[in-house]
Parts: sequence; C-alpha cells; structure tokens
Amino acid sequence: MKWKTIEKRNFSALVEELAKENEVIGPLKEKNTVTSVRITSENEVCLDFWNTKKPPKEVFFPQTETLFTYRTSKNDAEIIESPAIRKKMVLVGVRPCDSRSLVLLDKFLSSGEHKDVYYLEKRKNATIVGLACNHPLSTCFCTSLGGSPSGKEGMDLLLQDINDKYLIQTVTEKGEKLLEKISWLKDAKKADIEKGKKLSSDAEAAVRSKVSLSDVSEKLDKMFDDPFWDQICQKCLGCGVCTFLCPTCCCFDVLEEGEERVRIWDSCQFLCFALQGSGHNPRPSGKERMRQRIMHKFNYFVKNYGKSFCVGCGRCVQECPVNLDIRDVVKTISARKVE
Amino acid sequence: MENFEDSIREVAEKLLRDKKVDLIIGYEQGTLPLRTTPCFVEKLEDVKKLVWNASCDANLSKYVVGKKEKVGVVAKGCDARLIAVCAVENQIPRENVVVIGVPCQGVIDRKKIEAKLEGKEVLEAVVKDEQIKVEGEGFEVVLPKKDFLCDSCHTCRHRNPPIYDVLIGEKLPQSTDKNEFAEVSSLESKSTEERWEHFKEELSTCIRCYACRNVCPLCYCKMCFVDQSMPTWFGKTNDLSDTMIYHIVRAFHVAGRCVDCGACTRACPMAINLRELVKKTEKIMKERYNYEAGLGLEEVPPLGEFKMEDSQEFIK
Amino acid sequence: MKNAEEKWEPKILAFLCNWCSYAGADLAGISRIQYPPNIRVVRVPCSGRVNPYYIIKALQRGWDGVLVSGCHPGDCHYISGNLVARRRFAVLKDLLEYFGIEPERVNFSWVSAAEGEKFANVVTDVVKEVKALGPAKRLVKR
Repeated sequence: MKWKTIEKRNFSALVEELAKENEVIGPLKEKNTVTSVRITSENEVCLDFWNTKKPPKEVFFPQTETLFTYRTSKNDAEIIESPAIRKKMVLVGVRPCDSRSLVLLDKFLSSGEHKDVYYLEKRKNATIVGLACNHPLSTCFCTSLGGSPSGKEGMDLLLQDINDKYLIQTVTEKGEKLLEKISWLKDAKKADIEKGKKLSSDAEAAVRSKVSLSDVSEKLDKMFDDPFWDQICQKCLGCGVCTFLCPTCCCFDVLEEGEERVRIWDSCQFLCFALQGSGHNPRPSGKERMRQRIMHKFNYFVKNYGKSFCVGCGRCVQECPVNLDIRDVVKTISARKVE
Repeated sequence: MENFEDSIREVAEKLLRDKKVDLIIGYEQGTLPLRTTPCFVEKLEDVKKLVWNASCDANLSKYVVGKKEKVGVVAKGCDARLIAVCAVENQIPRENVVVIGVPCQGVIDRKKIEAKLEGKEVLEAVVKDEQIKVEGEGFEVVLPKKDFLCDSCHTCRHRNPPIYDVLIGEKLPQSTDKNEFAEVSSLESKSTEERWEHFKEELSTCIRCYACRNVCPLCYCKMCFVDQSMPTWFGKTNDLSDTMIYHIVRAFHVAGRCVDCGACTRACPMAINLRELVKKTEKIMKERYNYEAGLGLEEVPPLGEFKMEDSQEFIK
Repeated sequence: MKNAEEKWEPKILAFLCNWCSYAGADLAGISRIQYPPNIRVVRVPCSGRVNPYYIIKALQRGWDGVLVSGCHPGDCHYISGNLVARRRFAVLKDLLEYFGIEPERVNFSWVSAAEGEKFANVVTDVVKEVKALGPAKRLVKR
C-alpha cells in the first residue's frame, strides 16, 4: 500500500493526466444536484458534495442500452452485435457505499450460469477512485451494513479530503499502476496519514443512524404471509424512485425498438414488473411488490451471497416522495414477534 | 396551527368512535426534518399520531381512490378539489368519504430550502409564526416561510376546501390578485424553438421513475398508456423522444382535471419543474372553456362535453 | 447535399373521416383537381375516432406533418363526434405548440363531401407550410 498526497488546486491536472488514456467519469454540479458524468475539458470534477443524486451503476448499467441490432429479410435474419470494446474508464469520486455496491453487483451479475456480459465488459475496463466521506449525512447508515465512511471495498484508489489536499491511498495493483505514470505526486507525510486516520474515525462515529440487521433475514423467513406487509405498503405509491436511485437495484426489461433489442431499467415496484403474457400478475398489489423488494434485499440475497443487498447510502430515504423510510421498515421487522 | 392539530385529532377520534368511518387518512411526523408521511389510522389509540403543520404536503386524495371502506381524509384546498374531480369522474363515491377540510396556508418546499443552504444538511427544523428555523452542523438560520412555499401555493386561489364535511378552524380570505399563469405566459412569449430547447433541457434528466404519475390522484388508470404493450404505443426508454412524449401525453391526460396541487413537482427526485408542463393545460381550459376543475360536484369535465359555438380558429 | 434538400418532399399523414373528408378527397380526384401527392390517407369512421396518440405517434415515427379532417360542425354522421374531437384537438394543438412542436405540423380541417376544391386547397397549404419548415426532427425517435 502506498500513500501519496495531492494539493487540491492540482487535482484538475491529475484528472487531465488521467484523461489522456482513459475516459474520466466524475461528479459534476448540474442544476443544484451533483450527477456523475463524463468529464471533458469544459467541465471540472466537483468533489465537494455529499453524494451524487444517481449512483454510479448507470455507468456500467445504463438506463437504456442497446444489446444488439438485427436486420431481417424475407428468409433470413442477421444479428449485429454492439461493439464491446470500450475505452478504459476511470471513475473519480465514488463514495465508499457506492463502491461497495459495485462489489455486490459484480457478484450478482457474474455468478451462476448466465453472466451479464454487457455489465462485466464495462466493469472490467474501469478503475475506481473512491472518495472517503468526512461528513456522513443523517440518512447514511453504511456502518450497519458492513460498510464504512472510509471503506475501501471495490476501490482501486481511495482519496480523502484532508483540508488543503487529498490523501491518496493505493488499494489495488490496478490503482498503483494508474499512479505510476504520474511522477509529480508527492509521498504522503506521516502527519498527513495520521490526519486521515483521525478524520476516518471521526466520520465513522458520525454515522449515527443505525439499523440492526442481525435477525432480520431470519425473521423474514417466517414473515412471507405476515399481515405486516398490508400495513407497510399502504402509503407506497409504487413509483420507481427507490429502485432507480438504488446503487444495487439492477432489474431490467427487454424491449424491441424497431430492429434493436434494447434493455431498460425496470423496477419491482411497478405494476407491470411481474405481469405475465397471459394477463396473470403474481404480484397484483403493492403488498407483494413491497415484500419482494424487502425480501430481495434482506433475505434472498443474504441467503445467496451472504450479505444484504443494500449499502446504506440513504438515497431512497431522502428521495421517497412519501417518506417511506427503509430504515423504519427494517426496524419494524426487527421488532416484530414471529413464532 | 397547533389548534388545527388538536381539532383534527378530535374529529378523527369522533368519526372512528361513532363508526362513521373505518379509516382516517392523515399525516404523521416523518423521519426527516420538514417531512411528514401519510398516516392510516384505524384504531382509536393511533389518533394521537396525527399531525398538522406546513410540511403536510402529500396529496392524500390519492389514497382515497379505490378504497372500499368508509374513509375520513384530511384535505387541504387542493386535496379537496381533487376529491371533487375524482367524485365527478365516478372514482370516489362521495358518500363513502368524510372530507375533513383544512384551510391551508401553503406547504413548504424543502427543495427551495436545500437550494438556499447550498448543500448544508438540515438536521432540525421548527416552523413557528411564519418563520422556519433550520439547524444543522454548525449553523442555524431563520427563514421567512412565505419565501419557501411551493410555487403552487404561492399563487393558490383556493386555500379553502370547496367541498368538505367537517371544517377545521375558519375559512381563510381568498387572495385573488395573483397571476398563477405568469410562468406559463413567459414561456409562451418565447419562440417554438426556444421552448423546445427549454423543455428538452428540463426533461433530459428525467429517469422515468413515474413518481409524478403515481403521486397524482388523477392517474388512476389501471394500465397507464405508457405501460400498455398490446399494442405498445410509446417507448419506455429514456430517449428524449420517448420521455418528451410521456410528459406531453401525461399533461394532456390531466387537462381539465389538474388543479395544480404541486404533488408531481414535489415528488420528482430529479427536481424537474413539472408544474410548468401541466399548468399550461389549466390555462387552456380557462381561456377556451372558462373552466376550473374541482370546484363542485355538479361539474361536467370540459373534455366530456362540447358546445356548438366552441372556438375553432385553428381549424382550416 | 443542397440538391438533396431541394429534392426533399414532406410526408404528411392524413386521417380523413369516412363520411365527409374522404368523400371530399374522392371528389377532388374524380374532378381531376391537382394537389401535391405528399399525403398518405388513413380512412377513419369519424374525426372523433382519431386518438391523440395517433397524431403523436406519427410525429414520433418521423412523419413531417399530420392532417386530421372531418365533417363540418352539425354535419357529423354520428351527430357530435367532430364536436367532441374539436375540443380534444384544440387542447392537443395548444399543448404541442407549448412544448415546442412547430404548429404547422399538426393540422385540422373540416371538409365536406362536396368540397373537392377545398380539400385540394387544404392539402396544398399544409404541404407548402411543412415544406417551408423542413424535415421533422423534434419528436422523431432516432
């Protein structure tokens, strides 16, 4: 592991350097919100933000993606694959929760018989430069899910804001290689590293929102038919805010768009999500749909991969139009008596 | 306001106790500052959960549509107007609903406060005497409430519920001098080209989460046009054409029905000014057919009737 | 390139009601009245049958203009189909214009079965106006 530092005012020079061989994607301030976009010479990375409005999943799993195109003639059809080769990407300013979400997505989309090549191809070419959180929000609950405001999971490099400069920590060989070419970075002084550690532990303590998940998965096992779901789904509108803004939700729908096979984001909260061709809908009401979301995140995924499918980023908590707080839902499950 | 809260609880308790209703739909304290969340009260002991404050922004009439039981619902002016619209459209049996009308002084737009604070997080907020005191890590500011109301509330001309069964407090004087169409008019004065560029930019951030649709009490279709697949009318991608058409058709579908409650704008996670899109339909209805939605139960929706002498200057 | 632009001819989709405008178009044909060949006709029972989706879908599919034509008020075969449609079209037209779609692309007319000449004039006008605008771009999908 290597420690380097960079003066804040030199950061754009670093981005410029990286942009020579990579496509740099980073947070950018637009219309009062920060979103992750491709960084070009006209816009500058903004590292002064809580978290991006949309998670980085869309870089690897775009909302609309052409899988392949085809031409049909009278007796024949020809499939034209989308070009898979992409430029190398560097994602700058990924928060620890979001970086963790990519690790979970990697697992989910690469395990089993069928791998999501569209996602994995892009993922393979990406280097993640994380940014530690010094000031977690009141809606952040990453520590309850095994993350940390200065967690390194999924990152190749970790940046940390230490007032006038960024402390850079190499996490993987890939990350180290990225820095090799940039000769003008200074080695970190001992005081810088100490300062970083102090800020990390302060940030860890500042995550005050806690959710106990210890028995949630087990309880959910016995709660499939619990009347609890009837109550909890009452105010849910069935929109896609929580799932679309979720860094781990990755359900999609496949459509025909002319002679293109396209996939788009889909949400388990939508009425049509489970609707079958026959007209039968196995999840006909909000109750079943809400149950699916919670079950998938805190039960099914735990069983299959040993972890919850939530990273505690708090986006759904902040943006839910009716303030249906997932932390409350989990707390209620936790407090519920089941036999 | 606190009196309002007490009265709402009193009324709710009485309705439940007398078995006039099976369910009360109101607001309870949310989990974040400046937020409330819809509250469904069936038991007497839960009545104390009900609150009333300037963050009671959800349009609860949404939850009345489709309810089979007898419902009591807390309704601001705009909520009550939508109950009237839905009753006219036979979506809410009027006799099944007890409207607990609340004269409304406007709800707070938390996005405006967020913008004002430039990224600082609100940890606590108290609204008192027309002022909002917000606190966060290392700061405390007092903001005048009137500057942080939702746009819809700024120009609201129907603060008192036009229909109600019980009225909380007393009716407020109606303001009549506000130009609710100022934004629309300023857009209209631009060229088609400029307007297209404006909406293109505004809607380019849309993520098709359908919060605007699902939060709207008027969007009660069992299957939305955009979800229909036999045939598929319009695409569901976030391609500009698809997104634009979704918003145009949604605006068209609420024409003559929308009362500008502002719920869609508040629900949008991407902070798109949806009000600007649907407000135009209200203006069209007013100018062409002198119609305002949701003011009574005897009205005929303007797109459900016609007159021989209707304007037809656009027809060749 | 310039040559291609000059050669470009707009494509207009026309929804004509069975009882008046379609017959009007027929009359224009039988009477050998000349009008531009840029329209493709869809015969509908009544202008009231024209769902706004049809118009928007046509614009999305890349038609350069749309024309909906029905019976004059009072002449509707179904008594009031065109009157209900008139309100609907008024709102749609205003709304599309507000969103920045060129108003010349969306046209409505009343043409009776006896108005072959009027039909030809309407089509000539519409084609001329759309031609001046150039190919549709705004709502066209890819």
